[in-house]
Amino acid sequence: MFRYQSLEDCPLDEDEDAFQTLGEEDEDIDQFNDDTFGAGAVDDDWQEAHERLAELEDKPAAARELEDGTVSDEMDLLGHHEENLAERLSKLVIENELEDPAIMQAVQTQPSMLGDPPYSPLQQPGGLNSSIWDGSEVLRRIRGPLLTQEVPSVSVLEYALPQKPPQAQEDERDLSERALPRRSSSPVIGSPPVRAVPIGTPPKQAAMPNFNQQILCPKPVHIRAPMQQRYPAPYGERMSPNQLCSVPNSSLLGHPFPPSVTPVFTHLQRAQLLGGAQAGRMSPSQFARVSGLVGSPLASMNPKLLQGRVGQMVPPASGFRAFFGAPPAPHPSQQQHPPGPGSHLQNIRPHPQMFRPDTTHLHPQHRRLLHQRQQQNRNQHRSLNGSAGDRGSHRSSHQEQLRKDPYANLMLQREKDWVSKIQMMQLQSTDPYLDDFYYQNYFQKLEKVSAADELHGDGPKKERTKLITPQVAKLEHAYKPVQFEGSLGKLTVSSVNNPRKMIDAVVTSRSEDDETKEKQVRDKRRQTLVTIEKTYSLLLDVEDYERRYLLSLEGERPALMEERKQKICSMYDNVRGKTLGQERPSDDHFVQIMCIRKGKRMVARILPFLSTEQAADILMATARNLPFLIKKDAQDEVLLCLLRPFSLVLYHLPSGMVTSLLQQLANLPQSATAPAPANLHLAAVLQNKFGLSLLYLVLSRGEELQSSHAATELMQDNQWTELMFTATRELLRIPQAALAKPVSTPSNLLSLFSRYVDQQKLNVLETKLQLVQGIR
Amino acid sequence: MNYMPGTASLIQDIDRRACWLLPGCGEQPGAAASRPSSGFPVAGEKHLVLLRDGRTLIGYLRSIDQFANLVLHQTVERIHVGKKYGDIPRGIFVVRGENVVLLGEIDLEKESDTPLQQVSIEEILEEQRVEQQAKQESEKLKVQALKERGLSVPRADTLDEY
Repeated sequence: MFRYQSLEDCPLDEDEDAFQTLGEEDEDIDQFNDDTFGAGAVDDDWQEAHERLAELEDKPAAARELEDGTVSDEMDLLGHHEENLAERLSKLVIENELEDPAIMQAVQTQPSMLGDPPYSPLQQPGGLNSSIWDGSEVLRRIRGPLLTQEVPSVSVLEYALPQKPPQAQEDERDLSERALPRRSSSPVIGSPPVRAVPIGTPPKQAAMPNFNQQILCPKPVHIRAPMQQRYPAPYGERMSPNQLCSVPNSSLLGHPFPPSVTPVFTHLQRAQLLGGAQAGRMSPSQFARVSGLVGSPLASMNPKLLQGRVGQMVPPASGFRAFFGAPPAPHPSQQQHPPGPGSHLQNIRPHPQMFRPDTTHLHPQHRRLLHQRQQQNRNQHRSLNGSAGDRGSHRSSHQEQLRKDPYANLMLQREKDWVSKIQMMQLQSTDPYLDDFYYQNYFQKLEKVSAADELHGDGPKKERTKLITPQVAKLEHAYKPVQFEGSLGKLTVSSVNNPRKMIDAVVTSRSEDDETKEKQVRDKRRQTLVTIEKTYSLLLDVEDYERRYLLSLEGERPALMEERKQKICSMYDNVRGKTLGQERPSDDHFVQIMCIRKGKRMVARILPFLSTEQAADILMATARNLPFLIKKDAQDEVLLCLLRPFSLVLYHLPSGMVTSLLQQLANLPQSATAPAPANLHLAAVLQNKFGLSLLYLVLSRGEELQSSHAATELMQDNQWTELMFTATRELLRIPQAALAKPVSTPSNLLSLFSRYVDQQKLNVLETKLQLVQGIR
Repeated sequence: MNYMPGTASLIQDIDRRACWLLPGCGEQPGAAASRPSSGFPVAGEKHLVLLRDGRTLIGYLRSIDQFANLVLHQTVERIHVGKKYGDIPRGIFVVRGENVVLLGEIDLEKESDTPLQQVSIEEILEEQRVEQQAKQESEKLKVQALKERGLSVPRADTLDEY
């Protein structure tokens, strides 16, 4: 109704009539209508105002005492008449101005706000008010909280706040307490307002979307920290944060703790906060109380949230359960219903009185310890029903020790949980196999080993220390950038979640004729690299199929197999160079891949998945181009990784294949022609470790085949014999120094050579190649 | 026994006795047995911190955060030379997490039976000085020898030398 964009807009001098008419609706207010607070009062006589206020104060106070504190006159005035609020608001705005223009009241609310359940206004308890502005200001504040609904800056809004009903009681207490002389520790005057949220922290969430009112004054100079009815007292009577942490079902645990808030306060800071820092920002301890997200309602929320996994959680993680329960829960609802949980929870469980009035005379430290001990007693009762029954027994003995260590609990339980929560959150993941592959594999291996050990040796099961990992799956939160209601346009806020685009890079495709030869070469290489990458991802997928197979349902398995086959085929095609309708004329594609180190490794990994023919094909291609590959591999020396898969393939090859393989290695054409004096191809092969090892493997395989079958095609095959002659000739010819050192020398080579060479040469070969084991 | 990730595993140590009385603390029932059951009051658990510059600090860990920033109370810097060691009382330490190499809890029972011999501060400082000198000289000789042979040792990283 009465909405003011800024204080300047407030119709100060106009609309006196409006106020008049409104004032008539409520008689109490009427007294103060124009004469003292209204626009008509030119004379700024605060003393008079003070007295009137004092009178007014007595009236509601008395009324409240009668009514047992639930509904007071003030509440009547306030709560049910939204129209009254409007006028009072307007009046307050004016009176603020008149009283102390330096103090800007961020009065932004609409009258409808009061009736709006989701919104909880901040209350200004007198206790937290700065002691500087005692006197009229404070007394005026008695009414103030009821009338004013100040909306603080966005950051403080995050903390769910109580609503009207608590308000009443709180004010009552405010009043009663204010009757007492103000206690001691005044805040450090002149110090900057202590912020619950460090400066520069982006707000955790959007500034309350249901926050329709305009922010009249975004400058939050006088933020009254919200006070629940329970803790309105000034410092001395209030529970210290240390006590708060001991509160069972502490709301601190459950509160959607904004990660930006640093809860670690020094004692001095806490004193400042509690002692009524002038800014009166909510300290975490206070908002925690205020939010009212207590444990037991959380327990009811939890099963829903955590999908039953919580039950498996070990008690130590109970704190975390609360944590994990809280963020998801309020989060979706937070948007529309920030103190929803709070209010709802308040109804469920009225918070037990945490501090007792009769201890107010005690020193804060003393009281703190006292309450701690009370807390422990309470915990004792609780935990005896809880899981760790033996906790109770230690309790009594340790209580003394607690007392003797005054530095204990410097770190609040809340803070501890917070740190632990951070660490646990980092371990949360939706797909652990994806996010934490190596860790998962490592532990699987470990477990296999330990399981194997268990089977063999039936000793006591070695307890392996395991990492406690969160049992809750991470919920993906869609990041919503900060928005302010009512503002035109969007904020250009760049944060880690939504980084700003810094460089405008445009992709331009080159035209064909511009390319020079080098570019073409380069592009070709790039093409090969891309092919390798694509094939590699296919390979990784294929390798993963086994695991997926195990995890999948029966019905899905055929589909999985099919997928796998397809991927294998496409892998092969990629590697070999897919040619449509051609007979694979060139190895070019393959050779290109094999020139790259990663390509070689990939081929080695792919080979086990390929069929025999495909693998043999690859083998052939390798052998065919071996000298070239050797030359290219000079730097990398990765060819050796191919030996193992090659040998596996060889094992399955029929003799015909072996022959042709040898042929490839020796690079002899199909039809025997006059052998060149020096077989360069073979020579190159022999001089290379991989080549020689491969040759040996082939020869060894041939020998196996020969020796296994009495009359084999191999023997009958002239080609093989020819090849053997060539090979032995070359081996003899090549100087020993040039000969490479093979990875392993198969034992049956000697017998192989013995078939084809005479004894003398055999001896030479023997020594040269070190075929006899004893020599080496 | 299961452990928490990261610095959270030490959180329980901070106010060991007091901590597990409160809800939400990560204390295992089993671990309660491992604590000294002597009965006389023990104020928290002592921790030993090894810093990147080689210093060894021993104190009561009062606060820790996710970066392993530490607040140590009644800290003592322990200097070891050979079989001797000396303690220098330092008071309260606030250590930035990046300088912590390792941090662990001291078993108070085992603390008493060490083969090491405690000496006074002056003595241990003197010993340390002597040791440093000897090391420097040997280092110099080494560099000299290498230089004669035409080799050079790359300069060590100035940050992590001890």
